[in-house]
Amino acid sequence: MTRDRLAIIPILLATAIFNLCAAADIPVQEQIVCIRCHGAQPGRLGEPVMLWRGSIHAANGVACNDCHGGDPKDLVNAMNPDRGFLGAPKETAIPGFCGRCHVGVLKDYLRSAHGMALGKGGPTCVTCHSNHLVVKATLEIINEKNCSRCHSFERARTIKDAMRQTEGLIVSIGKEIEGFKSEGVDTEKLEKGLFSVRNRFHTLFHDVDVEKVKQESTQINADLNKLSGVLCKITEQHEKRKLAGIVVVGVALLAALIFYLLRKTYD
Amino acid sequence: MNISSRRKFLVACLGGIAAAGTGATLYPVYKYLAPKQADENGGKVSFRESDVPPGGAKFFDFRGETAVMVREKSGALIALSAVCTHLGCIVQWQTDKQDFLCPCHAGRYTPDGTVISGPPPRPLAKLPFTVTDGTISIG
Amino acid sequence: MTSMKRLYDWFEVRLGIKELVEKNLTGYLLPRNINCWYSMGSIILFIIALQVVTGILLLVYYIPEADKAFGSVTAIMNTMPFGWLIRMCHVIGSNMMILFVMLHMLSTLFMGSNKSPRELNWLSGFILFTLVQAICLTGYLLPWSQLSFWATTVATNSVGAIPYIGQFLVEFLRGGKLVGAPTLGRFYTLHITVIPLTMAAVVGMHLFFLERIGVSTPPFGLDNTKNRWPGGVFRYDDHPGGIPFFPNYILQDMTSIALYFAIFAAVVFFYPNIFFTKDSFVQANPFQTPAHIKPEWYFLANYQTLKLFPNEFIGLSIQGAAMTFLALLPFVDRGNEKLPLKRPLFLTCFIGGLILYIALSIWGHYS
Repeated sequence: MTRDRLAIIPILLATAIFNLCAAADIPVQEQIVCIRCHGAQPGRLGEPVMLWRGSIHAANGVACNDCHGGDPKDLVNAMNPDRGFLGAPKETAIPGFCGRCHVGVLKDYLRSAHGMALGKGGPTCVTCHSNHLVVKATLEIINEKNCSRCHSFERARTIKDAMRQTEGLIVSIGKEIEGFKSEGVDTEKLEKGLFSVRNRFHTLFHDVDVEKVKQESTQINADLNKLSGVLCKITEQHEKRKLAGIVVVGVALLAALIFYLLRKTYD
Repeated sequence: MNISSRRKFLVACLGGIAAAGTGATLYPVYKYLAPKQADENGGKVSFRESDVPPGGAKFFDFRGETAVMVREKSGALIALSAVCTHLGCIVQWQTDKQDFLCPCHAGRYTPDGTVISGPPPRPLAKLPFTVTDGTISIG
Repeated sequence: MTSMKRLYDWFEVRLGIKELVEKNLTGYLLPRNINCWYSMGSIILFIIALQVVTGILLLVYYIPEADKAFGSVTAIMNTMPFGWLIRMCHVIGSNMMILFVMLHMLSTLFMGSNKSPRELNWLSGFILFTLVQAICLTGYLLPWSQLSFWATTVATNSVGAIPYIGQFLVEFLRGGKLVGAPTLGRFYTLHITVIPLTMAAVVGMHLFFLERIGVSTPPFGLDNTKNRWPGGVFRYDDHPGGIPFFPNYILQDMTSIALYFAIFAAVVFFYPNIFFTKDSFVQANPFQTPAHIKPEWYFLANYQTLKLFPNEFIGLSIQGAAMTFLALLPFVDRGNEKLPLKRPLFLTCFIGGLILYIALSIWGHYS
């Protein structure tokens, strides 16, 4: 009976399985040979993969070969120096290693007190940022544990305090943008603007110069206030829409009432 | 109030609501469909040609974003957006290498904005400009 | 007023308006104990009309190409004046359409209006329910967001559980091995032409069946709640002494529509994002599956049912069987009684089924 067969359509269309395991494609990164091999190893050799998986690098498609070189598709030649494999950098080579991409930070670090102490007991990038579990930098990286290994925490606290207010503004603007993004507002320019200011601000720290931080903060705060202004305008616009909404709902309810009363006159 | 006059009143109210409703519907639809006027919001930016030396670059604000004017060693002028297409940092002009380098993740661009290396997915956006009597006008 | 009368007379001699008005409006009588649930159909018609209008407006600026679709929807939401309003009306409206179709089906089922001689109404309505689900499914892909892309991937995958032809069906639906530009092309065509035109035809049939056999009598507030149809011969189900459609019941319909519009506007203006997730505003990335992709609320019960059964095909079949049973219910339940309180088996199954459906949906949301 045709109606019977038409009932198959509900099966096909109405029964959508959203079974992640069945449908999810393995991310492209997990297919490189480095992870296929090291990911299966226990202990020291497998640990970097586990740590890396929780990092901001992994979330943005930066995998083993992007830092360590080598061939990510050829199991035999994956760690061949002829294919660009660099291995794990020695301590004094670490800033240059990370600085291949993070050029701005490298410049600031090298001319700072920290950079001058490289190889003489001073910190490298990994000291504060870790090597494989690299996460989005926050002010909390400046803490007792990281900073009092070589000197008193007091010096670190001064610079942290100098950065705290601006950092607070950056974080709150970031949250507001996130909020707008999940409402459908086009936040691309705002996100880019905030990213740029945030990077300019965070990279300041690497000079470990409190005066420089205070100086540059004025300009950075001005830029942040510009972003805040744009966000305020968006909030205002949304408030206006809500007001219009109250009017529309009110009129609709009024119309319902009038129709009801009109109907009553006919009963 | 007798039924007939009550009905007339209610129908009149409904008429008013209907008219308001029609207006409230037609206005947004009209604004939505109406072609956009190509008006200059943000305005042009101008400066003197001599501000941009050969092999050098001048950064300026254009319609709320940072832009850059480059004069190659050959003398050719190029106007570009200075916002890196990767994550939004402002690119820096390398006078020694005569190219753009983004300090955030080492994205590299040629003087006309094409990506040489690094993570940027798209070239730097070109901006239209005119030169009259030694004054450059962008936009 | 004489010019109005002359205009009226001009149409009257050519169309016989007076007769039409008497037959379909003032003389069309409805049972005295009719209730507000009988307005559900009109509300749904209003929702469909709004969807068509907002859909056509969206068509003006939407670009149905994989790399431009998301950008065009973002532009509608942010740049076009009132684009946000039109898009949000369309999104909220689509969810409302499914909700009210479900309420309509539940109320007709509850009041026994699907019984003889109205089997055709029920069947055409069931087909409409399926078409509504299909139009929502196809529309979901069009914004080309992460949510759209991956939800469609999984939805089209489910068809693959059918033996022998499953994989072929999946690729045919997608226009390729994976969801991509060809999928957008086909879903777009289905969404703006094939399904709406089919729906229009079936709605026409649905209304014709209703008009032909007459409105059913609700079983509430009556002494005799049995089905009055004698069977064996066509007889229009009239309601002598009933209330006229015009102006009485039309005003009830308008009240219901105005109330619906108030609820709809409240959601559009104050809770516009209840149907969105973070992934709704990120462009589709075929190389990155987001975590926690879930179907829309109206597919959650199906989703959870399939998760319960170890074999996908069994899960599909069970649901297919349930849907088929519901579709053929008027042929299975031939009893005369319409009042639910006098139909204990029916009432138990009705309440049980409803609770099961809601429980599965909630479970699907949290699992």
